[in-house]
Parts: sequence; C-alpha cells; structure tokens
Amino acid sequence: MRFKKFIRTYRPFTRAGMLESVAYRANFFCFLIGEIMSCFIMFFVWKAVFASSNGETFMGFTMEDMVVYLFITFLTGYLTYSDGTYAIATEIRDGSIAMRMIKPCSFDMCFLFQELGHKIINVLFIFAPLVIGVEVYRFVITGACQFDIVNFLLYVVSLVLAYMISFYFNVSYGFMAFYLKNLWGADILKECIINFLSGATIPLAFMPQALAKVLNFLPFSSLSYTPVMIYMGMYSAQEIAFKILMQVFWLTVMVLLSKAVWNHAVKRLCSQGG
Amino acid sequence: MIYVNDLRKEFKKTIKEPGLKGSVKALFKPNNEIIKAVDGVSFHVPKGEMLGFIGPNGAGKSTVIKMLTGILTPTSGTCEINGQIPQENRQKYVKEIGVVFGQRTQLWWDLALQETYSVLKEIYDVPENEFKKRMAFLNEVLELDDFITSPVRTLSLGQRMRADIAASLLHNPKVLFLDEPTIGLDVVVKDNIRNAIRKINEEEGTTVILTTHDLADIEMLCNRIVMIDKGRMVFDGQISDLKREFGQMRDLCFELNHTDDLSKLNYMADLKLSDADVEVNYEGAAVSVRFDSNAVSVENMLSYTLSKVHVKDINLKDADIEEIIRRIYRQEVSIDEV
Repeated sequence: MRFKKFIRTYRPFTRAGMLESVAYRANFFCFLIGEIMSCFIMFFVWKAVFASSNGETFMGFTMEDMVVYLFITFLTGYLTYSDGTYAIATEIRDGSIAMRMIKPCSFDMCFLFQELGHKIINVLFIFAPLVIGVEVYRFVITGACQFDIVNFLLYVVSLVLAYMISFYFNVSYGFMAFYLKNLWGADILKECIINFLSGATIPLAFMPQALAKVLNFLPFSSLSYTPVMIYMGMYSAQEIAFKILMQVFWLTVMVLLSKAVWNHAVKRLCSQGG
Repeated sequence: MIYVNDLRKEFKKTIKEPGLKGSVKALFKPNNEIIKAVDGVSFHVPKGEMLGFIGPNGAGKSTVIKMLTGILTPTSGTCEINGQIPQENRQKYVKEIGVVFGQRTQLWWDLALQETYSVLKEIYDVPENEFKKRMAFLNEVLELDDFITSPVRTLSLGQRMRADIAASLLHNPKVLFLDEPTIGLDVVVKDNIRNAIRKINEEEGTTVILTTHDLADIEMLCNRIVMIDKGRMVFDGQISDLKREFGQMRDLCFELNHTDDLSKLNYMADLKLSDADVEVNYEGAAVSVRFDSNAVSVENMLSYTLSKVHVKDINLKDADIEEIIRRIYRQEVSIDEV
C-alpha cells in the first residue's frame, strides 16, 4: 500500500520528465547526433592506434573488442549520466530550490523520477539501435553471433545500478552548491575526473596495473567500466558477482552520503535572489 | 493558528573590496560579516485572518515568509503553524499550506498548465471528485480556462500569476502565504487576483499572510498589518490604529483667487513648523498643504490660511495609508512612537 502510494506520488514526475524531454525535439536530436559523432571520432582515433601497433591485439583488446567497448561505453555513459549536479546547482544558485521545498515530496525522489522520464525516452531512441548496430558489426567481423543473453541481462542490472550510483553521486555533489553557491567550475572538473577514472576515456585495462587495481575498487569503475565489461563477457561468473556486489556497496554509500549532505546543507540554506 | 516568537535569522555575508583585486582577495581570504536579516519578530495570527506584511525592500519580509514555509531554518526563535513546526517535518507540514512567490513560479515551465495541476493532484493526494470541484471553483475565480492547455512558458505574467495562485490552492490549504502576488501586474489583473483571494478567504476560511509593496492590496484585503523594517517589527495592529496613531497627516486643499497670493503664505516661518510637519504643493491656483495635525491644530491652520489669502474653494482630508507608510519608511516617525 505504501509502495503504491509512493509510485502514485512520483509517477507524474516521470511522465512530466518524458514530456519535458520531447518538448525541445530539435535540441534532443542535435545532442544525440553530436554525441554519436564524438563516438565516431574516438573510433577513428583507436583505429589509428591499432593500425600503428604491431600485432592483432593491443593490450589484450582486438579492434573488434575496442569498437564494442567504445560504443557500449558511450551507451552506458549516456544512460547513466545524471543531470543532478547541474540541475541542483542551478536551482540553488537562482533560489528556485525553494519551490521544491514547499512541496510535500522528497527532494531526491522528485529528481530521480523526473530523470527516469528522460531516460525512458533515451532508451526508446538510442538503446535498441545502438545494441543492434554493435551486434550486427560483431556478426559481420567475426562471422558468428556474439550476442549473449545472460551477459546482456546482467549488463542491464549493472547498468541500472550504475545509474543509481551516478544519480546519488551527482545529488551529493550538487548539494555542494549550498556551500560554493555556483558549481559550474567544480562540475566541469568532476566530469573530467570521472570520465578518466571510470574508464570511459581509456579502458582501465590499458592503465598501469597498480593504478587499474586501485581504480577497480573506487566507485568510479562501477559507473561505466563494470557494466561494459559484463556486456563484453570479459568477466567470469565469480567476478561478475563480486563486481555487482561492489556496485551495491557503492550505491549504499552514495545514498547515505547524499542524505547526510542534504541534512547538513539544508540548515544553512540561504535562498538567493529574493 | 500561527504563532511566531522572537524569530531571528542571521546570514553570513562576504565583504568584497571593489575591483578584480578585491574579488581575488575575497576568494582566498574571505572577509565575513553577519547580517541580521530578521531580528526578533513575534506575532500571532488567528484562523481566517488576512494579515498584511509590509516593509521596504530588504526589510526581511521574504526571509520571514521563507522561515514560516519551512524553506529557511531560523537562527533562533520559534514559529508554529497549525500546531506544527515547519522545519521539523517539512513534507507533512507543507501539505497544509499553500505558497506563492510572485517572483518565482511553481509551475512546470515546459509543460501545458494542466499537466502541472495533475502532478500536484497526485503529490497532494487530492481525490478525483475533490480535484474536479476544486478546479471548477478556481476556474471560476481565476479564469484559467483560456490558457489551461498552453505551455507555461507562453503565459503572460498575469496569467502565470493566476495559474500559480490556483496551484497553491489546489489542495485546499489551511494557510496561504502570498509573497508579492500582484508584482508587475496591471490594474485589472490585480483586481481579479484580490477578488479571488478575498473569495477564497471568505468561502474556505483560509488564513492568508500576504506581503506586498502595493498598499491597495493591503487596504482591500487585510484588516491587520505587521510592518517590519531592517528586520525589526515597527508596527503590528489594525489599519485603523495605524491611521489613528500616525494619521495626523492631513491635506488642506484650496484654490486661490489670485495666484500671486501664494507668496503671502509662509507656514513654516509663521506657524513655526519644521520640514517634516508641512509640505506645500501647488499647480497654478490649486494649492495643497499637507500638515501634521499634532504639530499644528486644524483650526490654526485654517484660520491662518484664510487670514492671509482669499480662496474659492477649500477642503480638508485625511492622508491615505500610503502617505503614513511613506513617512515611516523614511523614518520620520521613529520606532519609539509605536
């Protein structure tokens, strides 16, 4: 019953999020095209790297692996991306956070469900085409179907966890705007660091072993590297179980962190702009 | 209903020296100063009352409203509304209040207006038949029909404000907080909004707390006002009391037979009045003299005027509330007089 009430309360946010997402159609498609183009740029960069290396493989990755890695990383990054930092920081900066506080709903849940609305639209438009595209490519290159339904389903589980970690991390980070007032610079810094540490820019396997080991235990690898490696079938069953537990662990940490930051920050809120 | 006791709010403010150098310096070695935005405000509002909250810009009105609505946490002091402390259980508390900030909107910018209402219906848990009845009522008083299907970003300011007020009333709150609900609106829309607020207050017994700079709002809606200035309470009472206490200002208006006669009148020197006590304005032969009836009696004023000049027409009237408040803002009337 409480669950039903919970869903009833927040479902409209998802609906509104979906409507919002399609309200600016041109913007949506421009963004999508831009993202896919940057994906192809990375593709050509890696192609050049492979062409200039001596063997078939580069640090254990074949060119085929690399392509799958690139596009699935792109997809994962796109779907686990959370706007929380920017959205919260903007609301704090211009004071419109006040309008959320006068509503009888939980602050993070409103954001989460609203963003889920955006995600549903994203999944409809890009998830299936990209996955099918990648699988067709693999089929053409290797001559056999590489699609593994178990890995795929585990990927989806890991992806959802990754998104939740990303969401709560971004919410916690966004609350820093309570202290810094304007988070633009800090947000850019965060993006760069995460893209590097999560393996989104360069696979963690390519990094010096010691560094890769450390990064594997940090929350960042849970954001992108873990789901992608699961999709690619790079992990054994045991490793998968361990990695997913790791994600659950980091999710718990992030949820608790966001609550703690919120409880502390809200007391020193000074609404800006009248 | 609403009890506010010795409410205080202090902010830390970073002082920057002017120029780039000052900004850079403040970045590394901030120089903080404590600002007392609200400094010991106490009042009580019974159920169903409409209270006007006034004060000059930056007096701390909005800060008080934000504390009463649970957005800000007071530095010290307490407020209790409907037996609840706003900061204690925010989600439960806000279910019983409605809030409109005239300078902001709670509507979903990119969605059709009715989408906002259906979202609000769910989060406030309003049953379907209740919702329909409520919407019909709000439609009637605020005339939302014309634009209910338009995206909020396309609404005019007047439409948006009406829509915002409707949004704050959808769940039939016990207390309605209106922070400058008529800011930037034309006379007709202002009138509509005032009528709507009055109707809601009459029909639902909603307690209303209203801040405004438009004193017509106050005169049409509230019978009691609380005035604050620099975070302190300056006045709390009926509008009639305010008029009685500070309303010694009278306007003596007359038309001269000969425009040249004006030079014969010298109130300040002849009646030994100060700058603040008397003010003469004229336009051609029409003269209006505003004076403090505590400093000089009406009788003296009239006999002096009539002894000096010949007039066609003469009348005497009370100064309006606006003038009184202008004087208080300018600090011609000191706090000790209250």
